[in-house]
Amino acid sequence: MHKILIANRGEIAVRIIRACRDLGLGSVAVFSECDRQARHVRMADEAVAIGGNAPSDSYLRIDRIIDAARATGADAIHPGYGFLSENEGFAEACRAAGLIFIGPAAEAVARVGSKTTARSIAVSAGVPVVPGTESPFSPNASEEAIVSAAARIGYPVLIKAVAGGGGKGMRVVSKPDEVQSAVRQARSEAATAFGDASVYLERLVQRPRHVEIQILADHHGHIVPFVERECSIQRRHQKVVEESPSAAVDSKLRAQLAEAAVAVARAADYTNAGTVEFLLDEDGRFYFLEVNARLQVEHPVTEAVAEVDLVGWQIQIASGAPLTLSSRDTLVPKGHAIECRVYAEDADLGFLPSPGRITSLRSPSGPGVRDDGWVEPGTEVPIYYDSLLSKVIAWGEDRRQATARMRRALAEYEIQGVRSTLAFSRWLLARAEFAEARFHTGYLDELLQQRAGEPFDEADPSLEEVAALAACLAEAVRNTAERLTSPMGAGSTGSPMGGATGVLREDPEVSRADRNWKARARRESLRQ
Amino acid sequence: MRFEVETGRRRRTIDVQRSGGGWAVTVDGRPLIVDFARAGDRWSMLVRKAEGAAGSAPPLTDSHGMSHEVAIEVRDQGARLVHVDGHVVPVTLIAPGRRHSRSSSGAGDPTGPIAIVAPMPGRVVKVLVTPGATVAARQGLVVVEAMKMENELRAPRGGTVAEVRVREGAPVDANAVLVVIT
Repeated sequence: MHKILIANRGEIAVRIIRACRDLGLGSVAVFSECDRQARHVRMADEAVAIGGNAPSDSYLRIDRIIDAARATGADAIHPGYGFLSENEGFAEACRAAGLIFIGPAAEAVARVGSKTTARSIAVSAGVPVVPGTESPFSPNASEEAIVSAAARIGYPVLIKAVAGGGGKGMRVVSKPDEVQSAVRQARSEAATAFGDASVYLERLVQRPRHVEIQILADHHGHIVPFVERECSIQRRHQKVVEESPSAAVDSKLRAQLAEAAVAVARAADYTNAGTVEFLLDEDGRFYFLEVNARLQVEHPVTEAVAEVDLVGWQIQIASGAPLTLSSRDTLVPKGHAIECRVYAEDADLGFLPSPGRITSLRSPSGPGVRDDGWVEPGTEVPIYYDSLLSKVIAWGEDRRQATARMRRALAEYEIQGVRSTLAFSRWLLARAEFAEARFHTGYLDELLQQRAGEPFDEADPSLEEVAALAACLAEAVRNTAERLTSPMGAGSTGSPMGGATGVLREDPEVSRADRNWKARARRESLRQ
Repeated sequence: MRFEVETGRRRRTIDVQRSGGGWAVTVDGRPLIVDFARAGDRWSMLVRKAEGAAGSAPPLTDSHGMSHEVAIEVRDQGARLVHVDGHVVPVTLIAPGRRHSRSSSGAGDPTGPIAIVAPMPGRVVKVLVTPGATVAARQGLVVVEAMKMENELRAPRGGTVAEVRVREGAPVDANAVLVVIT
């Protein structure tokens, strides 16, 4: 293997290019129109335009990506996460073109990619699963059929897309009369996101934790599990904070989870990196949830506590190298790591996406802090893709130190030009529940529902005073500078020295852009 | 130079005046001495209580105080986002002669027509109502997909659908009116 094409964008493309550099391999970026100047394009050795802005015109175009690999002489393709990462057709197309797909074989992607097939694999491997329908409903299944299946399983039930992931195409239903609209939404979302509208039902486990086991599996029969990641803090089924190890898992339970994950991977004939997800109920029983046949967003927390390079291992496994790691080492956490995702979303407006131009940015650093991002001052955050700007990972010798470092990193992080979820993350990490690790997968949604729209940033009055003062002083400096440079002289703004009133200057471009941000009435019209 | 400033629900009157190398300031009459220095696209701010009379010049060699690093985003005529010490504080500078900031006066008529607008550019996935339909508060009206998420826009209050201005599948710009409720 000499050169890897990265079939992705954003922070994960940057992460993979870094792994290529570390291994002395060439890198090829692909890009859509709006990503021409993006970080991953500038970082890669070579870059190839693959089409329009809509993912279906570029990052999901298997034919163009394969052509780009051929044209540049790349011998392998890394799919990253999202886009084509769990598309067996893509893995198959790579194989047909003589390219190494850095991930599991197409057959294994297909086996674990269907949630219903994955469930039966888990059952056959002796791993417990949550009660649910054994096969998906047909697209024209009647409402009655779905309602009666839901009644058999018992409310509340989850409607889940067979091809789903990341909470897309998933709805909770607690009464029969909610079934129809929830199925419609789940189908439509799944069709848009994954091109497959099939759904199935599963019982909703009350107040569970989400724990998952990262595995690496080589082509020589070795499967290595890692210390669990806990990803229970979720907003609408999207992970918000991840950490490793979990406060709810002791070494005995860890061994059981690891054994179950390895059994599922073996039964699925799985290779390369993957993650086996479990629900952990309040009594400490666990249930297989699904397999993610890809590198995950939260892989850095495992890298931190295992002191390994998972992307590096993905590449080495794909090129045929045997794993030299041992579960005796990988199941012992070296310290504690936490990840916070930073999105371009306005948390105060119901997490409304906030695309636009980054005007200023300062990312955190210092002991135990890693920032995996892709934006810089001047970057336009496009509307076409998910709004992840960065992931902050904090490592400490224990959970307390990791938490302190995460708080420090979040306080250092400053993004201007777009609204970000930083203030929301600071608010979340400052809460007692986080310090005490008291949460479950519904915790954050319940907490958010109790809030009456007060802003997440809770500056104390003395800091508010500093902010007010700074705004006035900057205005005074600006007025003074304007008066000195204006051909009209002092007459238009008055003397800044004589107790005159500050004059505010209208900036038409700024106020046009701002109408969007200020439309508070809109908050009412948005869901939740 | 005098400013009326709002943060959250609190309003302050702030007077600033150059004094030596720094600024003599009063916040609601309380005197402070501030060293306010540009640092790239940010500001370094040293704040301390004025010990003498308000307006007395702080000697440059005596520049000290509580240290704050500040970055200011100009959002609108008077609206600022002030990044300070790991917080982002919305600040409104109120223009002379105005009694209230816009944010506290723009609530709108609770009984008149309400336009449901697209919060951002996207694509209409589903139109859930037709003109003439009666809708309840929080009833779904239109589903708009943007940045890979489907957002169901709901009625802010009950009423009658007067207009539906979009079709399923149509792209929409930010602030485009989708539905009008009377």
